Amino acid sequence: MDLPNFFLADLPPEASLTPQLITEACQALKQNRERFLLSRSTADMVKVVCEVGAGWLQPDNRFRRLALEFGPAETGFSAPVLARGLDDFFRQFTPENFNALLEQEFGHVHRLDQFVDPTGAETAPRTALAIGPAFLVHIAAGNLPNPTFMSITLGLLMRSAQLVKCASGAAFLPRLFAHSLYEVDRKLGACLEIAEWRGGNHFLEQALYAETHCVTATGNDETLAAVRAQLPNGVRFIGYGQRVSFGLVTREVLRDESIASVVSRAADDVIAWDQNGCLSPHVIYVEERGLVESDKFAELLSVELARREAEAPRGRLTPAEAAAIATRRALLESTADPRADVKIWQSPGSTAWTVVFEHDVRFQFSCLNRYIFVKPIPDLEVVLQQGLDAVQGKISTVGIAAWPDKTRELARILARHGVTRICPLGRMQNPPLTWRHDGRPALADLVTWTDFETDITPEATSTPTGT
Amino acid sequence: MSTELIAFAARLRDLIHAHRFFRAGEVLDGQFDSLALELFTLQFHNNSVYGKICTARGLTPKTVRHWTDIPAVPTAAFKELELTSIPAGERTAVFHSSGTTGQKNSRHFHHTDSLALYETSLLKWYEPHFGFAGSLLALTPPPAQVPHSSLVHMFDCIRQQYPPGLAQFYGRLGADAAWELDLTRLLPALTAASQSLQPVTLLGTAFSFVHLLDELAAQNLRFQLPPGSRVMETGGYKNRSRTLPKTELHALIADRLGLPLTAIACEYGMSELSSQAYDSALSSGRSATAAAVQRHFQFSPWSRVQILSPETGREVAEGETGLIRIFDLANVFSVAAIQTEDLGIRRGEGFDLLGRAAAAEPRGCSLNVGEVKP
Repeated sequence: MDLPNFFLADLPPEASLTPQLITEACQALKQNRERFLLSRSTADMVKVVCEVGAGWLQPDNRFRRLALEFGPAETGFSAPVLARGLDDFFRQFTPENFNALLEQEFGHVHRLDQFVDPTGAETAPRTALAIGPAFLVHIAAGNLPNPTFMSITLGLLMRSAQLVKCASGAAFLPRLFAHSLYEVDRKLGACLEIAEWRGGNHFLEQALYAETHCVTATGNDETLAAVRAQLPNGVRFIGYGQRVSFGLVTREVLRDESIASVVSRAADDVIAWDQNGCLSPHVIYVEERGLVESDKFAELLSVELARREAEAPRGRLTPAEAAAIATRRALLESTADPRADVKIWQSPGSTAWTVVFEHDVRFQFSCLNRYIFVKPIPDLEVVLQQGLDAVQGKISTVGIAAWPDKTRELARILARHGVTRICPLGRMQNPPLTWRHDGRPALADLVTWTDFETDITPEATSTPTGT
Repeated sequence: MSTELIAFAARLRDLIHAHRFFRAGEVLDGQFDSLALELFTLQFHNNSVYGKICTARGLTPKTVRHWTDIPAVPTAAFKELELTSIPAGERTAVFHSSGTTGQKNSRHFHHTDSLALYETSLLKWYEPHFGFAGSLLALTPPPAQVPHSSLVHMFDCIRQQYPPGLAQFYGRLGADAAWELDLTRLLPALTAASQSLQPVTLLGTAFSFVHLLDELAAQNLRFQLPPGSRVMETGGYKNRSRTLPKTELHALIADRLGLPLTAIACEYGMSELSSQAYDSALSSGRSATAAAVQRHFQFSPWSRVQILSPETGREVAEGETGLIRIFDLANVFSVAAIQTEDLGIRRGEGFDLLGRAAAAEPRGCSLNVGEVKP
């Protein structure tokens, strides 16, 4: 792959990073921000990122082509899965969506640019200006690219200099995204750095954390704890930890005229990013006593997954990942009690997809990579009472297939149980730009406000007279 | 209890006793398949749980034509099911896997006949690798303290091959049931061994050697064990000590005990089996001068190992990675075909061990699962 050496992650593998290199890179980023970013407006930044996003949607876009050509080997996702995931993400890069995000976060789109009140008035008695971090560090996890793309984009909106530390072996797509930014706006690209090293390199990380006042990190609880423990006092830390998600299908939609669509949407969620991510379902709970029974739903899902394998194949797994699936299948085949009515459907001669139907209301962690549990339930209440102990407080998304009135009722109940996102089944891995990750504000957590109160009493507004 | 199984076990013991083995696969080559099929028929009929598993998979003595088609049972199933043909009232021992806290343990039930076969099996494959010369230091607690450890039972069988007093256990159960070393006895024993002309053999787990090495480093002690001395290192760490890469562990052992690297061999075994694999070349004399040789695990001649692709279930090609499956004829009273959760690389008749597959973390930020529900 022929990309110029703009970023640390572009260096050949044998080039070793040093703390001094990191320190110098951080300082250069901050200087570049002063020179190139501070004078830019939010609207200007929105324009640039929308241009970049639109580029990624073009079939002949250079970076998209590189992603689809080399991505399968680099990331373990097949080209169709990558294409779908990237399209769903970049399609949301519109000025309307970004403005909606800014309004949601700050009350008004201009509040990153000037002192205004929530109506946009500059002369109000109390106005406020939000200022993004001068230098923002992201510790990125795994190889789902979208969260990293989003972190970078949010940082750009706030005109922060940024360094993204990718997990080892996971820098490929963030690099391409950074290059695509650089191509559209070189000065902007000069305020961004992508680096890759195996987490836990204290020398590099200390050098990095010494230069910043704000760190975001995505990863498992141990990773977050390790990052947090290294941060100097006063550094703001935003951690996005382990979360799980599940699907919920109510009996009203389990009827002949709607079942095909429900099954297709369930398959969308299992297939998106090969189920690798906090927003992907481990389990789909299906209400019993629909016109189509829950085990029939599971069987239809298996047929749909088999069909989709032809058009959007699951990526190649490492032996360890495949072994996790093979081991679980083998155990189920040996221990499944016929009386318990456990059924398993699986891809023959491969680990491409697996559907396990079991009467056990407890949430079950999947080994992912298109290994999905379907669990029949009398109703949601039983799941909430008996099923979620292992994941309490860790639930990100519930994808629901139900009639609208029922969905609203379920949403109220799920919200009270700490679920942070409820969406239609089929859109679980495709949150909107305005998504509050883990129930937290997307931008508002990162900025620092300056409140400006003006004195509007008559004495204060009249011209003072000297004595 | 089937007299046929007992008769099979007795015949197998005679077969194992009758031969000296110098290479895996030797001697039993011509008989292995027929013995395996015979044993499968017996287990199918006498082990009801196993019989049901086979029937559910459509694999019965009528349909299975070769030992490689005999249905294997995953090790994890030993946690859920009683995979034994020994009736509850006749069980005299049970070996557990050393699972992590909070997890169910595997159970391998034994009685007099099964233990007799286990002991024959383990001694006859241990002997050509280590022999019974000199003295023996076992770094685990004695069997009385850990009656459900198949490893310690094995060490005790080996110990009994030595004259009284020349072979002893130097571990003990510490607080919270952790295995620790009795250093006040072990260090003098090492001193005595190093002053002797007779070789000494040390048996221990990886973490017990780390404990020992840490102590020797702290006291700045170094031994020069007599020529012909050997070390058998087995098992993982189970969070009982810091973890060292194998090459580093072996280098430290060699340095602190004054041994060549070739004197150190690894053992691979598990409570669900009655045979073990070693990664040392069989001792042809006790030459300690050989340069570092490429060593692979070899199971006993009455076992066969297959490395299966987790993706397709088929045997992988030479040099490729897959899940380790063992067919152990000595597992007469439980199940002979065992599917492990360990990954290995196929090397000729043997394999290199990569480790536990289930420990692999899913990509992305989803939780690792295995910890919650087996």
